[in-house]
Amino acid sequence: MNGEELLRLEDVTRVYRVGDTEVRALDGVSLQVRRGEFVALMGPSGSGKSTLLNVLGLLDVPTSGSYILEGRAVQGLAEDALAHVRRHKIGFIFQAYHLVPRMTAARNVELPLILAGEEPAARRDKVHRALDSVGLGGRAHHRPDQLSGGERQRVAIARAMVMGPQILLADEPTGNLDTRTGAEIVALIRRLHAGGLTIVLVTHDAGVASNASRLLRMLDGRFLPDGPP
Amino acid sequence: MKTADVLSLARESLRLHRLRTGLTVLAVAIGVTAVLLLTSLGEATKAYVTHQFVGVGTNLVVILPGRTETFGVGAGITTGIRDVTLDDCEAIRHRCSAVVDVAPVSLGSAAIEYGGRHRDVRVLGTTDAYARVRVLHAAAGQLLPPGDPRRGDQVAVIGSTVRRELFGAENPLGKSVRIARARFTVIGVLEPRGQSLGFDFDELALVPVGVGLRMFNQSGLFRVMAQAASAEDIPAAIRQVRAVLTERHKDEDFTLITQDAMLKSFRSVIDAMTLALAGIAAISLAVAGIGIMNVMLVAVSERTAEVGLLKALGADRGQILSLFLTEAIMLSGMGALAGLALGLALMQVGGLLFPALTLQPSVIWIAAVVALSLGAGALFGLSPARRAASLASVEALRGRR
Repeated sequence: MNGEELLRLEDVTRVYRVGDTEVRALDGVSLQVRRGEFVALMGPSGSGKSTLLNVLGLLDVPTSGSYILEGRAVQGLAEDALAHVRRHKIGFIFQAYHLVPRMTAARNVELPLILAGEEPAARRDKVHRALDSVGLGGRAHHRPDQLSGGERQRVAIARAMVMGPQILLADEPTGNLDTRTGAEIVALIRRLHAGGLTIVLVTHDAGVASNASRLLRMLDGRFLPDGPP
Repeated sequence: MKTADVLSLARESLRLHRLRTGLTVLAVAIGVTAVLLLTSLGEATKAYVTHQFVGVGTNLVVILPGRTETFGVGAGITTGIRDVTLDDCEAIRHRCSAVVDVAPVSLGSAAIEYGGRHRDVRVLGTTDAYARVRVLHAAAGQLLPPGDPRRGDQVAVIGSTVRRELFGAENPLGKSVRIARARFTVIGVLEPRGQSLGFDFDELALVPVGVGLRMFNQSGLFRVMAQAASAEDIPAAIRQVRAVLTERHKDEDFTLITQDAMLKSFRSVIDAMTLALAGIAAISLAVAGIGIMNVMLVAVSERTAEVGLLKALGADRGQILSLFLTEAIMLSGMGALAGLALGLALMQVGGLLFPALTLQPSVIWIAAVVALSLGAGALFGLSPARRAASLASVEALRGRR
């Protein structure tokens, strides 16, 4: 399966209106990602990398251009159809973790399974395995405020992986972590990549980006010419 | 998403803000209690009035002298003053097959005196039939004896209050009293009955009707009570009584009232009142609904980032909508339950304080008020839930609306 195309963007633009001015967050971006690739996106603030990640994750819709995911054009799909694709094919992790504070680690990881309507027994099993795989089997019943930053990001990774996604989209996953904890998270992401998962990761940290198999630099909504990672 | 999961997620988020949830539930509960109490008060009043009517005899047709215009100019004014007499009573008794009993009634007020004490009472002239149609019983002695209504001895049956005030612990039977200065022998005492539709049966002296008419120098009766054999016979009794009296008076110069008609009009008035009270109480439910809306709007703006996250995890609009709507309906549902409990408890207390009014929860009103509060929760929860569902996920993840 490795090497086969997973997704393709063709000439994608994303234009925001801020008052009277137009902001071209993405300005004619084309990109192909193959299965099993680990792509790092770098660039200064406002270069469009987060917008690109949101477009890839179907959280944001391009103003123009096409998006083919697993051979299917997804740019014209209705909101609920996009939600369905996100649920089954895409895992997200964020800089701010975005865990629900009132829920335990296990409950947070369980959320995607609940939304997918899975049976409680099967859910418990999957949650248990997902937390074990990020080394938090013993912290299942702790709430986010009882966990360290690194542990919270691990919970978020377990949540992203629990549905068995085709691709993991990571938006500055180490941005809120100290170097040592950040390295642990990067090691975890590398392990997932080694297991065959496709990953697109946005980062400011060249050290983090150096783990990727491919590095893309962005500026003003476009890619800079590819350089060696 | 499974229903059980929707419910447990909604419960988890409501539990987070106990005070806010509690206050909103309290507001709904007060509205539900108000509706429940006021409607059960209306129902109790209706039951009380019905009881009062039934207590004074059933299947009665009351014959009043004079024609009461019930519509048109001069409504309610009695015109024509031809007397209804004892002869009319005899004719009704003999010729109306649907009528099983006829009690003539004369009425006057006079002082009753015994041993230096005196008391103003109503003096009701009638026959033995009166006790039957009014369901009166003797506590001591006997009731008015049967006999020719035109004659009759100077005997009296007195009410329980009259007996207590004039005789105290003394046995009144066989004692001589003065009513309007005429001598009467007390032959019986009525069982306590209390007020019935404003008429106090305990402050009464019953005398034979012929004696009563002469005493107050009256030529005609105050009214006549005709009792039909059953409720089904009432229309026939009315027809027959009207025919007999019209024939005798050469004119319809009398008025027939059935207990049934009075009861119906009383009930419809009370029903209208109950509905009005319920309407007023429902305003407080509407206010509680606005409270729910406010709480839910706050919840949506507090949890914007959470909504964004849920969308990123693959929640569709319907799922977000149902999560927030379920919270709103849960708030109103808990309020309805608390209100029911409070209302039922207050009814128990009310029953102890006012035993005459039996405050009973009506199943229909309970169902209506529960449906109404759940409906209010859904209605007022809908707009905040839709707002949550339509949040753009990217903006929401950044915590912006």
